[in-house]
Amino acid sequence: MNLDEEKELIKRAKKDPDVFGKIYGEYYSKIFGYTLKRVANIDIAQDITSETFFKAFKNLWKFRWQNIPFSAWLYRIASNETANFFRKKGRKTISLEGISELISDSNPFAEIAEAQEQLKRHKEFLDLQKKISTLSLKYQEVITLRFFEKKQIKEIGEILGKKEGTIKSLLHRGLDKLRRQINATN
Amino acid sequence: MMENKNLIEKLERASLPEIEIASHKRRLKRALINEYFREERKGDVFNIVRKLVPLGAVAAVLVALIFNNLIFPKYSLAEAEKIALNDPQIKEWTEKGSVIKDIEIINNKAYILIQPQEEIQKPSAFLKAETSEIKEEFAGALVEVDFRGKKVSKIEKIAPEIASLTEKEQERVKEISTNDPEVNKIIPKEASILKIKTTPPSMKLKREDDSVNVVPESNTDKEVKIIYEYNRNQWESKIDLNKEEVKSVNFLGEVPE
Repeated sequence: MNLDEEKELIKRAKKDPDVFGKIYGEYYSKIFGYTLKRVANIDIAQDITSETFFKAFKNLWKFRWQNIPFSAWLYRIASNETANFFRKKGRKTISLEGISELISDSNPFAEIAEAQEQLKRHKEFLDLQKKISTLSLKYQEVITLRFFEKKQIKEIGEILGKKEGTIKSLLHRGLDKLRRQINATN
Repeated sequence: MMENKNLIEKLERASLPEIEIASHKRRLKRALINEYFREERKGDVFNIVRKLVPLGAVAAVLVALIFNNLIFPKYSLAEAEKIALNDPQIKEWTEKGSVIKDIEIINNKAYILIQPQEEIQKPSAFLKAETSEIKEEFAGALVEVDFRGKKVSKIEKIAPEIASLTEKEQERVKEISTNDPEVNKIIPKEASILKIKTTPPSMKLKREDDSVNVVPESNTDKEVKIIYEYNRNQWESKIDLNKEEVKSVNFLGEVPE
């Protein structure tokens, strides 16, 4: 989807719940995947993803097109929400049960347990993520976006609202700190 | 000592988790769509009030109410669920453990998919005197809700897809289970196979223009269960047919007298 098509879709989403549903379907996996790679915990990733979409949804009505992809805007909210999580661990999160108490669903516990098992199998990723999570948030963001989300420097700049030069320098310093951290523990 | 180049290589080739929680995705979507309608209602009322201020606040509120509730009613998923759950048949199914899996709203109708809850977590709760005959099980239903009449207008039962396995397939399933070390560790050698059954696939609604179809969820595993029995004790092994491996082995408990 190019920027013009995306712009048109966002415009329609403000008036049509089906289009809104389509946009959600398009981006849910990306945002959940990103938050999971940031926090390496299924429950927390679910909470942050919920908060991200609620915040995005609340602001969709006043969303103004600024020539950056919609996904970059969503990633930015997810990054901010992840930062909020790290800043105040144990905060209150949005409960889907509270919002839609009438809504029942297939029992999600087995699915979550299975997902946790699946996550445990990615030992190399978990080891790296554990080390990355000890760095400052600004380094965590750029390293995760660059290597785990496979984003280009320009895209990371759009997501974080920073210049490409700044991203390159954050990446360089972040990698250096990560390497020293790994060497120190080995 | 690790160099920057090695670290970059390590980060680039790390195998990353590609996980999705389908139930969370569905629940969040429903919650967001509910919020959408709430916000839209607020927006509608605000716009109309603003236009009609010169005519007086009372008139504006009245017009807003008429527009929102009579001329252009916006139907919500929660409202559809509420109407459906008032229907005695649906109430009975949900009381027996079925759940609402998916909802689509088209014009002034809602289509609700109801399916039995998956058997998980508490194996002993499902223990029963199994027989080798296949009973007709409730596989789910597609329910049509008429918002204008505030009632359930149609209920279509979904045909239970008890895809019977061929003899060859049954043999293969037995072979996978018998050769599994976990099965051999937990289930006594003397135990006999009481039943082999396929698990009905998890379904979802697929909207096509002005109609909906019930289709299997694409990421659903194809699963077969083997029920073993020995000395009135029962065990169950679940086999993933796609991967041709045993997913889990559970002791179900003792069959009651």
